[in-house]
Amino acid sequence: MTKRINVYSLEPAAYKALRGVEDYTRSSQLPVLLRELIKIRASQINGCAYCIDMHTQEAIKLGETPRRIFALSAWKESPLFSDEERAVLQLTEEVTFISSHGVSDATYNGVLKFYNENELAQILMQIVVINSWNRIAVSTNQIFEPQK
Amino acid sequence: MPQKRINIQDLERNSYKAMLTLESYVTNSQLPALLPQLIKIRASQINGCAFCIDIYTEEALSLGETERRIFATSAWKESPLFSEEERAVLQLTEEITSISKNGVSDKTYEKVLKFYGERVLAQIVMQIVMINSWNRIAVATHQGFGPLA
Repeated sequence: MTKRINVYSLEPAAYKALRGVEDYTRSSQLPVLLRELIKIRASQINGCAYCIDMHTQEAIKLGETPRRIFALSAWKESPLFSDEERAVLQLTEEVTFISSHGVSDATYNGVLKFYNENELAQILMQIVVINSWNRIAVSTNQIFEPQK
Repeated sequence: MPQKRINIQDLERNSYKAMLTLESYVTNSQLPALLPQLIKIRASQINGCAFCIDIYTEEALSLGETERRIFATSAWKESPLFSEEERAVLQLTEEITSISKNGVSDKTYEKVLKFYGERVLAQIVMQIVMINSWNRIAVATHQGFGPLA
């Protein structure tokens, strides 16, 4: 992979501002492991190797099991995820692939069945911010240390 | 009529505050006039954000963009109305917006870099990322749905 620009060192103000959105999601009341599931699944869809590496390590550290992380790309057929998680993963996929069909009423209402409106807003912002990090990392060939 | 959905701005004020900080960074960047509007309109077309298309076409017109070029945006590849610089940026906009397909090719990346240099390229990437965020929020929450004002 050829080396590309580092947006964050060229434009520190951009990083600071995006970091502000990230900090907001961190201050939300969402269960931490749910946030990691969102981040990993969106990163899988967007093909962000850097993000997958970072967030799977983060998830493991927070107590997620390797087995569930392995299953994540096939979550629809897996018995390892709760109904709440499945609702959020479906929303994650539809928001990430927003150009395909938008977000269906069934999916939107599916999340509202388990979470209140504030939590839904927080979940949505989590999906939006990981999509931002994914786009930056993929388009700039952001890399990580493979030997770690 | 599609159902009414949540309003993130009301429910989660802090999220909006953070997003607006990011937006003001993007707005204050050094991108050439009308280029941000082309990016915003094209990404909103791809992401199917009617609300965003409405806002940004109006913005573009008020800044001096022509209706003819806006009409041509969805078919820019076949249109003679866009400069080489704009075509490079529109290509990058499409690849980042549809990032899950093939990422961003070296060819696309190098072209924008050649025309704009590293710093402005970084700003262009952030503009594309920003509009993709607004598009996702607006489409997911049916923002602006309802009878015309």
